[in-house]
Amino acid sequence: MLWIPCPTCGRRPVEEYRFGGELRGVPDRITDPIERDVDYVWMFDNVAGVTTERWFHQAGCRRWLTVRRDTTTDTVLG
Amino acid sequence: MPALETLPGLRIVASPEALDAAPWSAGTVVLRFAPDDAFAIGATAVDIADDHAIVAEESGFVGRWLTREELDDRLVTHIEWPLPTALPALAQGLIAGVPAKLWLTTDRVLLLCAAAYAAELADRLG
Amino acid sequence: MNEFVERRLTLRWQQAKRAYDVVIVGGGGHGLATAYYLAARHGITNVAVVEAGYIGAGNSGRNTTIIRANYGIPEAVRFYQHSLELYQTLEDELDCWMMYTTKGIIWLAHTETAMRAERARSLLNLACGAETVMLTPQEVKALCPQLDLSGGGRYPVLGASYHPAAATARHDRVVWAYAQGAMRLGVHVLQHTRVTGLLRDGARVTGVETSAGPISAGQVLSAVGGNVSTLAAYADVRLPIRTHPLQAFVTNDYEQAFQPILSDTELLCYVSQTERGQMLIGAEFDAQPSYSLKSSFSFLQSSAAKAMHLLPFLRNLRVLRQWTGICDISADFSPILGETGVEGFLVTTGWGTWGFKAIPAGGELMAELIASGRTPPLLEPFRLDRFASDQTMADPGSTGTH
Repeated sequence: MLWIPCPTCGRRPVEEYRFGGELRGVPDRITDPIERDVDYVWMFDNVAGVTTERWFHQAGCRRWLTVRRDTTTDTVLG
Repeated sequence: MPALETLPGLRIVASPEALDAAPWSAGTVVLRFAPDDAFAIGATAVDIADDHAIVAEESGFVGRWLTREELDDRLVTHIEWPLPTALPALAQGLIAGVPAKLWLTTDRVLLLCAAAYAAELADRLG
Repeated sequence: MNEFVERRLTLRWQQAKRAYDVVIVGGGGHGLATAYYLAARHGITNVAVVEAGYIGAGNSGRNTTIIRANYGIPEAVRFYQHSLELYQTLEDELDCWMMYTTKGIIWLAHTETAMRAERARSLLNLACGAETVMLTPQEVKALCPQLDLSGGGRYPVLGASYHPAAATARHDRVVWAYAQGAMRLGVHVLQHTRVTGLLRDGARVTGVETSAGPISAGQVLSAVGGNVSTLAAYADVRLPIRTHPLQAFVTNDYEQAFQPILSDTELLCYVSQTERGQMLIGAEFDAQPSYSLKSSFSFLQSSAAKAMHLLPFLRNLRVLRQWTGICDISADFSPILGETGVEGFLVTTGWGTWGFKAIPAGGELMAELIASGRTPPLLEPFRLDRFASDQTMADPGSTGTH
């Protein structure tokens, strides 16, 4: 099971959190402004590996945090 | 589980430094929900050194004081995460699947949760 | 190599060639069905299906095998109704018993809002050619005597929509039947061959790089489940896909017959009985994307609690097995099929938690697109470029369900 460390509350099971999405940018190779907008709105990196994402500690301090997670093992790094 | 009762107090959202420096009257239990968010049980006024602070009367929490034995007998089986060992301490998270908080001291424990969840929490704790 | 597959069917395994007209990545239902229809309907037999594990090892072997057409938008209802009709004659077409059983699906409503949603769904389905009717609580009870109409006191049944054509089939048999059908017509199925990259000529995709060496191809179709973003990235194609785990579990045998499939949008869970008599329970996918196949206790606990509100007899059964598949979920909860904007590279993806029922239609229509170069009308709404042109297809009939 996935445990996520909250800087305010400590290490907690995933059920206490709400997933807030990956932190990502639009790839540099996309240069057309409209294509950049489409990418920003709709596309996901959906990385199989280490990804940086936002989580909300809904059942605890009710604050957002940034977490690095390995999506192949579903574990949080450092 | 006897009913959880309303805990009147003050809710303060302010800069962490201003909350650290706030002059609470002796004996006031102040729960720091987050670095910038505090709930002072029983307080009616406070002097906060932050021009942008939000100070409001808070009546949205209910709670009950328990003994350490009641904590061990009634609650611990419903808590999946480790309780803090350095006391006093605030612990917040799911208790029996309901968002709740504990104020842990060496001799007694305050169990509290948002009023909306009180019936569900009491029901689940049996 | 899976011994069971080889003993029970006449699958003719072949050595990989260096080049094919079409290479399909992913030996699940969609990949094998596309290969079969390319050969059977279009005479294109110089085709290879490249599979990293064994055929049906991914979501084709992990799903809950429900076949239905009662979706929430016209484009989807028409597509899934076509798929359901193909399924109804598939055993004859492929000359293979797939344990196809018509059961009917009951979709419960516990609130007036849910009743309105089910009424709207019924009328939409009828208008688009998929029979769905409303049932009173008594009619629901007659079809499913085990159901507690009070929902454990918390989820009273106000009514339900009923889609009588809903069915289940044995998932492995569907995969093997398509594989056998395709291989008899000359298609190569290459198991244990992992695709590690795409061959490019400029922007164009000209083949696949595999663990057994490069294979060139006139066209490459991604029919992978769970790793499509990685594969598409080799072609610089960006997809509106997130990959989420979906869990399910079965109990030991329930000694009575449980005829229908029971589903519930409010509780987000569904229950059916397998041919072996086990009760099969599924629920919504995990909230966070992940490629991990780990199952969780909290899922088991929450979905068992939900199902027991409706079916109290489940309390007396034991959980036998729990498993996880990883599902590619698109940003509008509808599948994505067809061209990608990169020449020589097509996708069939976004099959989320509803891919099994779409195998025949997805395969047939993708084969038509590959063979003719034209997008068939039923596929037109599911193009990838709908996201760029603001024609997304949010489907309330598929969100978070099976």
